[in-house]
Amino acid sequence: MMFKFIVKWLGSLKSVPMVALVFDSCLKMHAAIVNPQLLDCIDEVENEVCCWEGVTLSLHQYGGTQFNYKQKEIGHLHSNGILDIRLDRETKNLLVQENKAKEHHVFKKSGWISLYIVGKADVENAIAILCLSYQNAVNG
Amino acid sequence: MKKELQSKLVGFILPNFIILFIIGINRALHIDNEGILVFSEFIILPILMGIISSWFWRNLNLTSGQRVGYSMLNGALAILLSFVFLGEGMICLIIVSPLIFAFVITGVFIGKVMFKKQNTKLNVSLISMLLLIFITDAVSEHDHENMVGDKILINAPVDKIWKHVVAFDKIKQGNQYWLFKIGMPSPMQTTVTGYHLGAGRKCIFSNGYVFDEKIVAFDVNHNLTFDIVNQPLDPEIMGHIDIKRGQFILKDNGNGTTTLIGNSWYKLHVFPVWYYDIWAESITRNVHLRVMEHIKILSEQ
Repeated sequence: MMFKFIVKWLGSLKSVPMVALVFDSCLKMHAAIVNPQLLDCIDEVENEVCCWEGVTLSLHQYGGTQFNYKQKEIGHLHSNGILDIRLDRETKNLLVQENKAKEHHVFKKSGWISLYIVGKADVENAIAILCLSYQNAVNG
Repeated sequence: MKKELQSKLVGFILPNFIILFIIGINRALHIDNEGILVFSEFIILPILMGIISSWFWRNLNLTSGQRVGYSMLNGALAILLSFVFLGEGMICLIIVSPLIFAFVITGVFIGKVMFKKQNTKLNVSLISMLLLIFITDAVSEHDHENMVGDKILINAPVDKIWKHVVAFDKIKQGNQYWLFKIGMPSPMQTTVTGYHLGAGRKCIFSNGYVFDEKIVAFDVNHNLTFDIVNQPLDPEIMGHIDIKRGQFILKDNGNGTTTLIGNSWYKLHVFPVWYYDIWAESITRNVHLRVMEHIKILSEQ
């Protein structure tokens, strides 16, 4: 709710250096206090994806951890559990129809999808969809 | 196991002492600029602290939860050291703590990614950039003055209000503002040496501290303006804010009521303005309201 409000109304602040990173740190602080399990889930996704060949981590420009394959972004994970994944439109439509993912929380008409990691049960699905994006990137 | 504990402890102790050392050097080199606390001290240095901690914790396989917890502990340690070695007041440290925690956590996660990549070029350039920003900020001119104004409606004519504006007896009402409740001094009483231009005025606070004032405008029933000529040497105020001037304006509404306007001018010595001015405005506003509400009660009796 708060995240949506900030993205909608204070989104322009993301171009100020560090603001998005600090906002993401506040999300981490909030999660550590009210829902520490969420941070464990984020670690689980991160540790798994990091093991895939050619994948590197970086800080996402709008806060969170970004997963890259050979400098190309395959997705990023915000610290409130929102995982944004780059896919093609066909795969996106299929996943949305199957209720496995939602349209991207900002760019609804793009090929990106958003996944909301709330607890352990969402981790497997998150890794599986990230793997689709990874395979797309590997296959060029 | 012993080595892990050692790395963990060094990650707490060393960054804190490096930052304390940098602040100490900065203060020693700038004794002439009224001890201004630049924004880098609250933003760049906590980020640097987080990055240095991450270097020592890079092989510990910490979870995100642990990183956040350790960062907050590190921030708390920095706050404690500021209290002991830099003589900062407790309320000031409460005000600054959200900034410290947020930026130390940011630094720790920047460091995590930096040291995972083993990208020496990036690491050196980022740390050099942070230090460059710090030095540029430390030697730059910092000046911020602001005015805060508040008004209330009093159901009494101006001549009944005026005498309470110039001086008033002890405020008996309890504090509503949370910072006053947790120990920040609140205004209690005002005395004057005379009812004329140039008279001395004293604003006495709950902890006994006194602001010495001089009346510079004395337009009976309309305008009382006073300059603050001496403010108390309180660690909560010293080197952080200078209250320059205060003013009460009375406007007769023509129906037996009066609009009382309270204005204060201050100069900030702590930066960034976008953070500290929110607090300075809030505190000034609550000082105004406490005094003006008291004047309202006395005048409406």
